[in-house]
Amino acid sequence: MTEITGTAGVPPASRNASTEVTAKPSNSAFHEVGRDGRDPSEDEREIKELERVWACPPGIYGWFTDTDHKAIALRYVVTAFVFFLFGGIEALLMRIQLARPESHFLSPDLYNQVFTVHGTTMMFLFAVPIMTAVGIYLVPLMVGTRDVAFPRLNNYGYFVYLIGGILLYVSFFLNTGPDAGWFAYVPLSGPGYSPGKRVDIWAQMISFTEISALSGAVVVIGTVFKMRAPGMSLHRLPLFVWAQLVTSFMIIFAMPAVMLASSLLASDRLIDTHFFNPAEGGDAILYQHMFWFFGHPEVYIIFIPALGFVSSIVITFSRRRIFGYTAMVLSLIATAFLGFGLWVHHMFATPLPQLGQSFFTAASMMIAIPSGVQIFCWIATMWGAKLNIKTPLLFVLGFVAIFVLGGLTGVMLASVPLDLQIHDTFFVVAHLHYVLIGGAVFPLFGAFYFWFPKWTGRMLSERLGKWNFWLMFIGFNLVFFPMHQLGLKGMPRRVYTYLPETGWASLNLLASLGALVLGIGVLIFIVNFFWARRFGAVAGPNPWGADTLEWSLTSPPPAYNFQRIPVVEGRNALWDQSTEAPVVVGLSSTKRETLVSSVVDAVPELRYELPGPSIWPLLLALATAETFIVGIFTPWAFLVGAVLTFAVFVGWFFGNPNYENVDAKQPPDETNFASEDLRAEEA
Amino acid sequence: MSTRPVIDVSELPHHGFDTLDTIWWGNNLLLAIETSMFVLLIATYFYLRQNFELWPPPLAQLTAPLDPLPDLGFGTANAILLLISCAPMIWADVSARRGSQSGTQRGLLICLLIGFVAMVLRGFEFRAVKFRWDSNAYGSIVWFILGMHMLHLLTVTCETLLLTGWSFVREFDMKHRVDITALAVYWYWVVGIWMVLYAVVYFAPRVS
Repeated sequence: MTEITGTAGVPPASRNASTEVTAKPSNSAFHEVGRDGRDPSEDEREIKELERVWACPPGIYGWFTDTDHKAIALRYVVTAFVFFLFGGIEALLMRIQLARPESHFLSPDLYNQVFTVHGTTMMFLFAVPIMTAVGIYLVPLMVGTRDVAFPRLNNYGYFVYLIGGILLYVSFFLNTGPDAGWFAYVPLSGPGYSPGKRVDIWAQMISFTEISALSGAVVVIGTVFKMRAPGMSLHRLPLFVWAQLVTSFMIIFAMPAVMLASSLLASDRLIDTHFFNPAEGGDAILYQHMFWFFGHPEVYIIFIPALGFVSSIVITFSRRRIFGYTAMVLSLIATAFLGFGLWVHHMFATPLPQLGQSFFTAASMMIAIPSGVQIFCWIATMWGAKLNIKTPLLFVLGFVAIFVLGGLTGVMLASVPLDLQIHDTFFVVAHLHYVLIGGAVFPLFGAFYFWFPKWTGRMLSERLGKWNFWLMFIGFNLVFFPMHQLGLKGMPRRVYTYLPETGWASLNLLASLGALVLGIGVLIFIVNFFWARRFGAVAGPNPWGADTLEWSLTSPPPAYNFQRIPVVEGRNALWDQSTEAPVVVGLSSTKRETLVSSVVDAVPELRYELPGPSIWPLLLALATAETFIVGIFTPWAFLVGAVLTFAVFVGWFFGNPNYENVDAKQPPDETNFASEDLRAEEA
Repeated sequence: MSTRPVIDVSELPHHGFDTLDTIWWGNNLLLAIETSMFVLLIATYFYLRQNFELWPPPLAQLTAPLDPLPDLGFGTANAILLLISCAPMIWADVSARRGSQSGTQRGLLICLLIGFVAMVLRGFEFRAVKFRWDSNAYGSIVWFILGMHMLHLLTVTCETLLLTGWSFVREFDMKHRVDITALAVYWYWVVGIWMVLYAVVYFAPRVS
């Protein structure tokens, strides 16, 4: 671990890595070039061309068709944040209801809808999408490329998500919001106990958000594997990008489970199948297995990107290289693997074999190890460093405190006898909020403060930031700490009120007051946002003296990201950069071209033209919407949806007859020669 | 900031086959998603089986045949047909790599034909199951497995249709040749996963 000093936060680099990279490319496909003697006017011309080629079409049409990952990601962030506010308002409504015994603020039926929509919103419309969104913005910048690997798929993912969110809220406002809890257990959510369309809305909303999450995962993996700048071999990948990569793989293996669970539930409800109907050989516990096979990895899908934020922030604000990079990466991967072996600990209250329970208890306790390794690595990184205590770091410190508490109650809940005692009580509510708010929302707010300057070009206010942090931190603990005790005293979750004789009133009132404080904290963030948009200090490219590639660009970055793809010289790309930064030349500036490189060592392989703006992703999302939304009412919607989808694909495929990729028509043998050559090099 | 060009990529190709191209990765990741889905579906099949003393359950009507096992005929025919379909797809795949337009087109046309026939046969396979989807959990899961695979047959046939169309109407360019090799991977996957599903649907009930 090298201590990095320097007044402006830009440390003097250790340059031992640079020779390795520049020496590598030596085959016939590309060759080293010397210092180019181009005059500045040539540079200007290149920038003008890039600006023209990568420009977003004007107006509302441009909004619908744009494929710029930064624009899509910011839309995603804003949309997800709006859903976060909705979910927060629902939480406040519940706290008002529970502030005193026998309250009639919400009717029992409305209360059911409110807690279901709150949970659904926070998990599916806020937590997962916003983590993906931040990744979609930053991953291409951090790996040094011009856009994501599949820009149109990216755009499709956003629209599908947006439609799913609108579906949930329109139905909620029409008093048909789902009311069977965010995990919609059968038999309560089955056709027998939940007639009407409420649960169907929930099931189809799941389909929308999961399609969106899955496309996001494919986009991120494709980008990380194939679009890295030369020199950024896997062992130099920023931890943020590692976190996004691991999360995306988890999404690919976990999300199909919930899509399947919700589809089977929907088909039980709509076309009378019997998957979960015990009378005809179906099984209610099967639903729980499928849901939690997704549901537990889901926690890590939310939490691991947050670990990426934390690593970025810790490195920057302690101005040091991370302690134990390899251990950090291995812990991320270990967490992902173990995350798939824990789902049954959500089901300890069901009749499962004892041996199975012991296995899952062991696995649940084991997962504390990789999390612990990471916490210790961060502490070791910060130990003795001159910490630059700004708001992002405050949120990270808050995260460590809260998350450790949440982790402790997690270890408690992993033990079967204790779990049976406090199952379905407020203790669980306290635990899950400590883990999710502590583990994800605090780092997320830290990430907002950290990357806001990059996104908008202006700094958020530090003074408001400190208020924001302390109000949220104190408010959070006031709301959720008393819930531990309420749970131990036996207060059940999801019950709309309680009697005065229970003695739960004072702690509930305290929690409700805490919710108010927490709400004010969030409100201050919103004020800070609007204040900074107008009056915030101009940020410049690298206000924090951070180490990853996005900070080498203007804030906000140009549409094409990099005028020339950088050549990465070390793990902390900017800190290790030579004074004359090495770059790649030879990419076209007259079309949307970027570099495709090899998976492990990032050796350049192709000059790849990315697709540009297109209306088809939106139309495809609308076809998907028809299928699932009308599908709630008639199965014929699936037939219509198939026809529509095919029609859209024909248009997508054959549209744009003057295909932009003129260079695609090169003679075949030349291509084969070059690619074989590269293969040999890679081997 | 001053920069120093160290790598010139102006002679790199624009497209490459297999792992070189992003489409290969995108395609395979989508297949990984679908594979997870089918693995879960198979797990569901065996989970539900635990709830039955006889699998499939005996039929209630007196007029029905005594043995409600799914008929092997159409399913086996379809499985063999799909296995055979790999040959023309390999032909199209190899031709696309070599740059032989006519070979690709012929291979794809044969696959297209087989795709349609396989879907018709699948229609009969549904009828070979002695239960409807709404009779009991056995009927539900078998119909769902057959249906989900049918969906992939439909998708892969439509994709073949689009690429065949392109190879006739438009140019036989590098980009779409790479696409055809990705389509081939999808095709092999659809066939390969069916071999597993075929064994589950038709032989799991026969092995007690």
